[in-house]
Amino acid sequence: MNREVVITALGTAGAHGCGRASLERALAAGAPPPATEVDRAAGYHQPEGARRALITPVAALAPWLPPAEARRMGPPSRLAVAATRMALAEAGLDPARLAGPGTAVVVSTAFGPTSFSEALLRQVLQDGPESASPYLFTECVANAPAAQIAIACGARGVNVTLCQREAGALLAVARGAAEVAAGRAERALVGAVDEMSPLLHAMLDRFGALARGRSRPVRGARRPDEGGEIGRPFDRRRDGVVAADGATVLLLETAAAAARHGREPLARIRGWGSAFDPAAPPTGWGASGEQLGRALRRLLLRCGAAPGGASPGGLGALDPPASVSGGPPGASSPPGASGLLGASGLLGSIGAIDRIVSGASGARAGDRLEARVLRAAWGEAALPPVLAPKGVTGEYGGGFLAAAVLAAAGVAGVACAPTAGFGEPDPDLGVSPHDGRPLPPPRALLASSLAAGGAACWLILGRP
Amino acid sequence: MQPGGATQAAPAEMAARASGGRAGGGDARRVVVSGLGAVSGFGWGVEALWQGLRAGATAIRPFSRFDHAAHRTHLAAEVPARPPAPVPFAAQPEGRLLSLADRFALAAAGEALTAAGLGEALGLLPEGAAGVFFGSSTGGMWESELFVAGLFGGRRGALRAVASQQVNGPGDAVARGFGVTGPVQTVSSACASGALAIAAALASLRCGEVEVALAGGSDSLCQLTYAGFNSLRSVDEAPCRPFRAGRAGMSIGEGAAVLVLEPLERVLARGALPLAELAGAGGACDAFHMTAPEPEGTGAAAAIAAALGDAGLAAGEIDFVNAHATGTPLNDAAEWRALRRVFGERAGRIPVTATKAALGHLLGCSGAIEALVTVLSLARGELHPVPADAADPIDDACPAALVIGRPLAVPAARAGLSTSLAFGGSNAALVFTRWTGAAP
Repeated sequence: MNREVVITALGTAGAHGCGRASLERALAAGAPPPATEVDRAAGYHQPEGARRALITPVAALAPWLPPAEARRMGPPSRLAVAATRMALAEAGLDPARLAGPGTAVVVSTAFGPTSFSEALLRQVLQDGPESASPYLFTECVANAPAAQIAIACGARGVNVTLCQREAGALLAVARGAAEVAAGRAERALVGAVDEMSPLLHAMLDRFGALARGRSRPVRGARRPDEGGEIGRPFDRRRDGVVAADGATVLLLETAAAAARHGREPLARIRGWGSAFDPAAPPTGWGASGEQLGRALRRLLLRCGAAPGGASPGGLGALDPPASVSGGPPGASSPPGASGLLGASGLLGSIGAIDRIVSGASGARAGDRLEARVLRAAWGEAALPPVLAPKGVTGEYGGGFLAAAVLAAAGVAGVACAPTAGFGEPDPDLGVSPHDGRPLPPPRALLASSLAAGGAACWLILGRP
Repeated sequence: MQPGGATQAAPAEMAARASGGRAGGGDARRVVVSGLGAVSGFGWGVEALWQGLRAGATAIRPFSRFDHAAHRTHLAAEVPARPPAPVPFAAQPEGRLLSLADRFALAAAGEALTAAGLGEALGLLPEGAAGVFFGSSTGGMWESELFVAGLFGGRRGALRAVASQQVNGPGDAVARGFGVTGPVQTVSSACASGALAIAAALASLRCGEVEVALAGGSDSLCQLTYAGFNSLRSVDEAPCRPFRAGRAGMSIGEGAAVLVLEPLERVLARGALPLAELAGAGGACDAFHMTAPEPEGTGAAAAIAAALGDAGLAAGEIDFVNAHATGTPLNDAAEWRALRRVFGERAGRIPVTATKAALGHLLGCSGAIEALVTVLSLARGELHPVPADAADPIDDACPAALVIGRPLAVPAARAGLSTSLAFGGSNAALVFTRWTGAAP
């Protein structure tokens, strides 16, 4: 069984607020929402370290999560359940309609419930192990948000939590789409959630991941105060990411079901793929984009969407969904570049990707690798317009996933959004993100996420 | 086959629903197990594990990983120390960046690849043709605790101590160590993580995304989980006693397990003999409560039915069960009801083994190591016993046919079921079948 899968609803919560409208406004404006000063009272931070993060206003969740429910959840579960309800409200779907074995849940989290884990460890290590709170323990497992989504909706299909750092959000979509495409689920609630506790923020900063702006000289800076604590995707002055919390949840279902229920899809899922760079250190990115670039190119070839091709007819060849080194779910074909080239049978309609939503975030090494991977995959061909929404959404919390789907949906302003934080091209990268000039809605969009540690995932989304 | 009737009709309906009416065993590629690797409380390696299990011994005993004097309980199945030794075929990454869970995972993966005859061949595969699918609940939490304890005290430890803190650390370490360039995916769905990771590997192999999958899990003991489960009062002060009348909770263990999974034709083509076939996988959620299982076992039964449907097998074709069997009163009772739902009256006659009685609960790795034990049971034709305890009879309310005291020979067993029932209600089930083909 290999069914066409579409995205029919999107719920998102982040520093921009709750719901897609506020995120759309921020993306279209090319300006991140105001950042919040992170609580440094615990003394985890270095004095010169990053001070701010993009934090979801707690009050904004209240309409979606009554206090009697919220009190039984940790911060990631609250975000995830609220985002789920936003998605269902957008689709006009009564959560009761999702109850049953046909609804799968796949959620990714990069770091899990860190504030509850920290609080529990304080109890155990400082007050003694018998002080440990069962409530904190219950909600400090990584799969608490996925479980709480299932409980909230009665979703009794397979329930999976994925942890693969920055690649996790797209992996979750791929896993959920595979469940629906193969007929193992009728629909899937998929997404990403993360909180940004002071401890996590301090640790990311100590590893050099966060933008520090004025507090640290920026390599190549012309003025000592150049920078600010700003995520600057692909920019010469970039010095790290702006950390974010939040959640994004999508509803995936078959195109047939969406049509049956009169739900207009936001986007169609046309392919996905993942790969790993074993040269990457545990906390960073590899230096060469060649291997991941080849993996991406294999995906594009498999989808009939490789650059440099000649078919203006577009993406007919993307049907059915494809995975990076094999066939569509349920099909069988040899893996690896040569096998794919010879056996895909899907070639003949290529060069179709007309928009990239890049996971570039302002990380020095991460953006360099992203640029190298894209350039390696595209070879001599020119890259299509590259959007880099993490300048608005920050890193983590699912904002990137929401931005990619909204861009694929052709939402006015988002599909051609300017890149927040970008001002000076980095000659070392050879990629300049889009400047906000008007563009037609994309026909086929590549979303790209490379994770610290070596994982990578790509998703190809098309117009429904 | 099971006799007909309403009780027996339910699994077929559930299977059809869960699998969309499609059995994975149809025209999909057949996937087999070609190598195993394990690290457990019985020691480093599959043979140490199997010999400990079949002796009816327990690895649950006093332990020294951390000072547990102030904890409520004082037993765990701790992996014994191992003299430093290079992992075969693995690039030797900088050891100080590895967590204990990473080391377990690397050792198990190295053993599994060696057993599969793939150690050097892995690097010869086409780029992207090998993948890692791993489960873990806590990754490098043990090392993080040491680091955070210092932080709470105002001291700043070396960052390298938490370089592999993330839950995806063990899976990534395996991929990095063995040069894997295909998909790498870490599942962290509590106690079902390992089984769901193996299910993901099965899907990836069937659709041709990868040719070789290293599937498994790894977790190490840490204070967070030890104190956490004790806070729920779900840890037995004695070694756990699944399905016994006097059971009072689980025991916690640590370790890693890796299964090398490949398409059948690939294994036969190189003249190797499969250990077993991974015939099917299924998952379902209770959607009931964060810590308590749905008491009627409907979610677990749905996962089992989905796995049977995926394997194209009827419930009557399952010859034994490697049960999740934590030893907590609620969990065992719910699992028993799930088995009753699927197997009907036959549930009380199907031999059941409970690996946690010997190894403790390996959390994110439990589904993987119990899958591995299920494969060994099929390949070696016997079920390991749980430690004998004549003073603690089987619970009348969940009268599983538990293998007790000595191994049970099952030379004719064709199919074994492994179940995983997790925190948060995530259930998973795997069906393995004995390889009966002729030696190549």
